[in-house]
Amino acid sequence: MDVCSINNIARCLVNSGFDPALAQFITILLGVVVVASFPLVVVIFLIWVERKFAARIQDRIGPNRVGPYGLLQTVADAIKLIAKEDITPAGADRLVYNAAPIMAVMSVLLIWAVIPFSPIHVGVDLEIGALYFVAVASIATLAIMLAGWSSNNKYALLGAFRVVAQLVSYEVPLVFALLVPILFASSMSMQDIVHAQSGMWFFFMAPVAGLIFFISSQAETGRAPFDLLEAESEIVAGFNIEYSGMKFGLFFAGEFMHVLTNGVLMAVLFFGGWLGPLVEQAPIILGPLYLFAKSTFWYLLSLLIRNTVPRVRIDQLMDFNWKFLVPLSIVNFVVIAVLLRLCEALGIAPAAANANDFVANIPQTLVLLLGNAAIAAYVLNRLRRAGREQRLAEAGRTLAAVGEKAAVAH
Amino acid sequence: MVELNAHTVVFAIFSIITLGGAVGVVWNRNLVSSSYWLIFSLFGVAGLFVLLSAPFLAAVQVLVYIGAVGILITFSVMLTRGMTQIKDVFNRQSAASGVVAVLLFVVLLVGVVLPVWGPSGALSSAPASDVVATTAELGVALVDGSQYVLPFELVSLLLTAALLGAIVIARDQDK
Amino acid sequence: MGEFDLLSSLPAIAPEIGLTILIFVAVLLDSFLHESQRKGIAYVAALGMAALAIVPIIPGWAPEPGPTGDYLFWGGMIRHDALAQIFRIMVLASGALTCLMAVDAKRVGNKGEFYTIVLVATLGASLLSASADLIMVFVALETLSIALYCLAAFKRNDSKSTESGMKYFLFGAFSSAIMLYGFSLLYGFTGQTNLYALAQFMGTEAFANNAVPVLAAMVMVIVGFGFKISAVPFHFWTPDVYEGAPTPVTAFLSVASKAASFAVMMRFFIAVFPNDLVIGDYVIQNFWVQFMAAAAVISMTLGNVIALSQKNIKRLLAYSSIAQAGYVLMGVAALQATTPLGAERAVASVGFYLFMYTFSNLLAFAVIILFSEATGSETIADLAGLNRRSPWLALTLTIALLSLAGVPPAAGFFGKFYLFTAAVEADLVWLAMIGVLNAIVGLYYYLVVIKVMYVDRSEDEDKPIPTSQTYRWVLGVATLAVIILGTVGAQVIFEWAVQGAGTLFALLPGVF
Repeated sequence: MDVCSINNIARCLVNSGFDPALAQFITILLGVVVVASFPLVVVIFLIWVERKFAARIQDRIGPNRVGPYGLLQTVADAIKLIAKEDITPAGADRLVYNAAPIMAVMSVLLIWAVIPFSPIHVGVDLEIGALYFVAVASIATLAIMLAGWSSNNKYALLGAFRVVAQLVSYEVPLVFALLVPILFASSMSMQDIVHAQSGMWFFFMAPVAGLIFFISSQAETGRAPFDLLEAESEIVAGFNIEYSGMKFGLFFAGEFMHVLTNGVLMAVLFFGGWLGPLVEQAPIILGPLYLFAKSTFWYLLSLLIRNTVPRVRIDQLMDFNWKFLVPLSIVNFVVIAVLLRLCEALGIAPAAANANDFVANIPQTLVLLLGNAAIAAYVLNRLRRAGREQRLAEAGRTLAAVGEKAAVAH
Repeated sequence: MVELNAHTVVFAIFSIITLGGAVGVVWNRNLVSSSYWLIFSLFGVAGLFVLLSAPFLAAVQVLVYIGAVGILITFSVMLTRGMTQIKDVFNRQSAASGVVAVLLFVVLLVGVVLPVWGPSGALSSAPASDVVATTAELGVALVDGSQYVLPFELVSLLLTAALLGAIVIARDQDK
Repeated sequence: MGEFDLLSSLPAIAPEIGLTILIFVAVLLDSFLHESQRKGIAYVAALGMAALAIVPIIPGWAPEPGPTGDYLFWGGMIRHDALAQIFRIMVLASGALTCLMAVDAKRVGNKGEFYTIVLVATLGASLLSASADLIMVFVALETLSIALYCLAAFKRNDSKSTESGMKYFLFGAFSSAIMLYGFSLLYGFTGQTNLYALAQFMGTEAFANNAVPVLAAMVMVIVGFGFKISAVPFHFWTPDVYEGAPTPVTAFLSVASKAASFAVMMRFFIAVFPNDLVIGDYVIQNFWVQFMAAAAVISMTLGNVIALSQKNIKRLLAYSSIAQAGYVLMGVAALQATTPLGAERAVASVGFYLFMYTFSNLLAFAVIILFSEATGSETIADLAGLNRRSPWLALTLTIALLSLAGVPPAAGFFGKFYLFTAAVEADLVWLAMIGVLNAIVGLYYYLVVIKVMYVDRSEDEDKPIPTSQTYRWVLGVATLAVIILGTVGAQVIFEWAVQGAGTLFALLPGVF
């Protein structure tokens, strides 16, 4: 009789006299509860992290009253939100109005079902994990639009319109960037993608794709500099203007979880997920540890961007996506696909036997990296030229305006 | 007779979602609500795909129909204000169309579905296919010269033309 | 299935590959040329399509059975036989002429997108004529239709054009849905999508008592095709769409879309419901032949009678095209002929009729485009004095209308002659009689237009209609084609079509 642990709950239950089907059901239920509540619990802590982080950047101290270092501030906030009166505005579409916040949280939580925490711990290792992630994430758009419409408020509706424009647009480069790891791993299963990185993390083979993915997912969360859906100075609070109490809290929590989820996805897709030294020996401890260590980096980068980059205009937002990210992501994908095939044809690619060997992966990685560098160099050069032209044009316009003024004065 | 197991129960639930959503689409006063019901109905279809062991189609159904088509329909309905305030749900032909719909249903049920797939129908004794195509096989089929590459490539041209046409029609030409 | 052989499969889609290249060229030219030079795309597209139309005629390019021993290529998606080639020539020729006709049309001719979408529509029509699989039929049909919806609504600020696009789209989407339902039933019955495999499965013992389901599926498919060929009672969209759409689009839609749909319709019914398919005690062929005959009678009669009272020349041609669809359906009904030669001649008569109809109708529309671009009018009364304004234009329109009416020496005479002969040979004498009666009714309203042009007077008689060089070529080529098809070429082309029709039946198990 082996020791009961998290790895063999089902077997333990059967051994202690449960019906196998029931045991399996209980195991799955437990798994769902654990996987779904984990981000919900973590988010309480993350809100504190974010506030502290923002405070430091703005030369403040941040929450410091409730609990040690203000750690319990979020708990206090949550209690306050729950205790608040639940207001449904007049003329609101009640059913939809109440369903929207739930859907917003749901769409993020569902992503966690396919995220591998360790070699053996993953909600469901779906054959189509990556596609599932894209599909489920698209529900978030719907949730926000429903919220905007059902609130019966002009600002909310404007926010909803912006959501559709922004989130649907940014899904395109996101998916194209996502295709690159799928291409490397020849699989859409998240677990396979992680395994395929045991020789080399995909970020070193395709940094451009990684950055595109990061930028587009930042836009998908709707955070600064892409926070047009709730731009306070223009449309007050956007889609969630009418929401109060815990319903607002759900949107809020959903957004924070989404940022964390993006970090986790970056880690899984480009930074080897749970991979790390000795992980096979202690999967339950080291796997999640490595995964979250990697995610934290991207999470903090996201916070840094949020707190330092100003909000873009709506036309800049769309131009940036359709005229920059989308073409770039398509070109990047094609270049990588061609290079990959080329490596295979020239025999540079590591053989299947030593695909997990770091050294064997180096030549192919170098070729791909070179391709990426070429793309990046070209893009940066174009950007520099375009920027200079724009500056010159603006300078010219200003000079002309000054000249006109001078002429009028005369 | 139909066996009562988890599979049939789930099938029933998704069927109800699909059909109920469809009824909601035609029954609703407000076009925006109709589009929500449509999304609901399409979600049921995604569930049916899961039951048919076609996870890829299920995910694509959610991504394309709920994430893109449904949202765009809702969006365009929201932009056409007048359409959202329709008072009369049923026009004058409602009785006639109701009769036609019911007749059509009966004809299809009695004439087509029962004789072919019914309990003693032509195909009732045929064994259910045990071929479960994987996503990889689906992918290969789409680019295999002796399978579906031709329609697959044609669809890409079709979409290009539709995209061009949509831009031409949507853009203000006299600028 | 066997190993896929790319090289032997490529000739089967040679025109489509060429069209794809042309599409890319058109898109690139559109983005790099200056607005005033974009008309050049029309010439590129037209010359390209004309060249592709010649390819199937080159000796040595005749379709040969592929690696699987029949004419099926690309996994059975298309059937590369001589009949498909004939229809491809029609479609490509009409695409080329449409592009040239659009050059001077306002708010259409200077847009590269127009030619790109015409190319895609032609591609769809061309593949449709060769499709041999439910999936391919549907995708090709949608490629054609969706491109045409866009084209019909192309003049965005013209409310008639937008209305026409919208109507066409709604009716089209609805009939496509019904047809797709029919397809899904057929697939459900058999588990097959290849047209040539469907019949074998439906002929099995299991289906012995199930004629009704098969008929239900058949009726739904007929609805879809009936819409595309604008046969009564699926014709409602025709007059409004023809009137509102930009005239070059109307021209294209009245010929290419119709020709390709007839091609696939004949292929579909011959393959899926052949004359040896007996379910229970019913010969399935009898049912669809009766449908076709009935649709032919109603389409001819209704089209011709309503055309009598039309004031707008485009609406007149719309109703005329409904009537013409009726004549052609007569040829489809004649497929019930009991001898192989009879059936082949029925197919060939349909092919020949559509061949001549393509050129006659395009010719008529070309003159109407010129006239309405110059005068802004499309009413028949305004055609008054056209003979004194531009005698050549009046003459070409006369030839076109006489051809549509079926008067020698224009091509329409032989077209109708072969159709009626095919109907008589297939024991459908009564149908041929109705056809002849209708031809007489048709003659009347075509002659009225000719009378207006030659006899009536108008105040603008001193203002000739400006005709550009391009148009002179279009008119010249089309007139020449109509005359040749009506005189020396008739027998040659018909024989060719009979040979082509032979391949439609060739290598089919058990049809004859």
